Amino acid sequence: MSAATPPPAVIPALTEYLLALADDKFFLGHLDSDWTGLAPLLEEDIAFSSLSQDEIGHASAIYQLIATWDGRSADRIAFGRAPGQYRCASITTIEDDFDWATAIARRWFCDHFDALRLQRLCGSNFAPLKALATRIAAEERIHAAHSDAWIVRLGKGNADSRGRLQAAVDRLSTPAADLFEPTPGVSDLEAAGVILSDPRMFERWKESLERVAAAGGISLRVSPRAASAPPAGRAGRHQPGFAAVHAELSEVFQLEPDAAW
Amino acid sequence: MSKVRQQFPSSGGDFAAPPHADLRAYEVFVRTERGKPQVHAGTLEAPDDELALQYGREHYGRDQPCVEVWVVRRESILTADSDREVIFRLSDQSYRQAKGYSDVRRKWEKIRATKAVDEYQRDDLKEAF
Repeated sequence: MSAATPPPAVIPALTEYLLALADDKFFLGHLDSDWTGLAPLLEEDIAFSSLSQDEIGHASAIYQLIATWDGRSADRIAFGRAPGQYRCASITTIEDDFDWATAIARRWFCDHFDALRLQRLCGSNFAPLKALATRIAAEERIHAAHSDAWIVRLGKGNADSRGRLQAAVDRLSTPAADLFEPTPGVSDLEAAGVILSDPRMFERWKESLERVAAAGGISLRVSPRAASAPPAGRAGRHQPGFAAVHAELSEVFQLEPDAAW
Repeated sequence: MSKVRQQFPSSGGDFAAPPHADLRAYEVFVRTERGKPQVHAGTLEAPDDELALQYGREHYGRDQPCVEVWVVRRESILTADSDREVIFRLSDQSYRQAKGYSDVRRKWEKIRATKAVDEYQRDDLKEAF
């Protein structure tokens, strides 16, 4: 199959799956961009800003792909939905209150998750998705290496940096598991070959995090999200602060939704 | 400005700039195309080699097409001192410069204009053998 649009039967499930991916990146990139001008080192400031831009760039490319069959423009998909229609996991919208360890830990959980999620798309039989995922996955490896470098340095720094990092990792490890909340129709996408299945994805995620945590001398406890857990971000059920973050992010678009940019 | 940042303390507190005495200076080189030489792109400061390479790639490898980035600790660079000893010799060493060849085309055109090339080549052979 090398058609420019996916088979109609899988479009609703694929749209949900890709919105989850793009919305995660969009909100993570948005929150991380708050560090521009404020990161702990000049060079890190530029690097972290550049990584945030990457995330928003990835989100933009995925919204554009969705727009090829969706009927809405990429901008409208990105900014024009009601808060309950966003599919991002809660960890991507938890504010860090300018605690660097929280910002790093947030990225770290997400980068390792995305590295695995994108592998499932790199094997897609839907050619435009495969090509896009392959490009994004190459950048995602750089992101994970950057997060890992910081986890190890904060962990091996002094009592202050280690204490802050441990607190951030402990605080975020439960919402991080919500990254695994499934969107509807994943098994249909796997059966159609549009995404690959990865039954060990949680274990692989945990193992890659544990390797880095061990190198940084911090403890890590992550448990799989229970199948019986109530619907969360992937179902549009967001935490109380989400509406404010969303309003800020879409503020300019909402001034004049039909403006041509 | 982000609404989050409006609550951000503008000076002092936890966010005062830390001393950067533990940073090391690095020189950055980039190769913009395969087969082309590495060119000096700039400098940066980083706490260690791994982050220096990551920063080098982020800062200098991304605004332009780039196939390779080097970072070198500045202290590793050995410099020939051009103030204390001459590097480019002052005596006439023009014979070492390849500039004489640039005139060949003009000389040939002159010969073609004044003398049949066949005749020239006959003379040339006569001189050589």
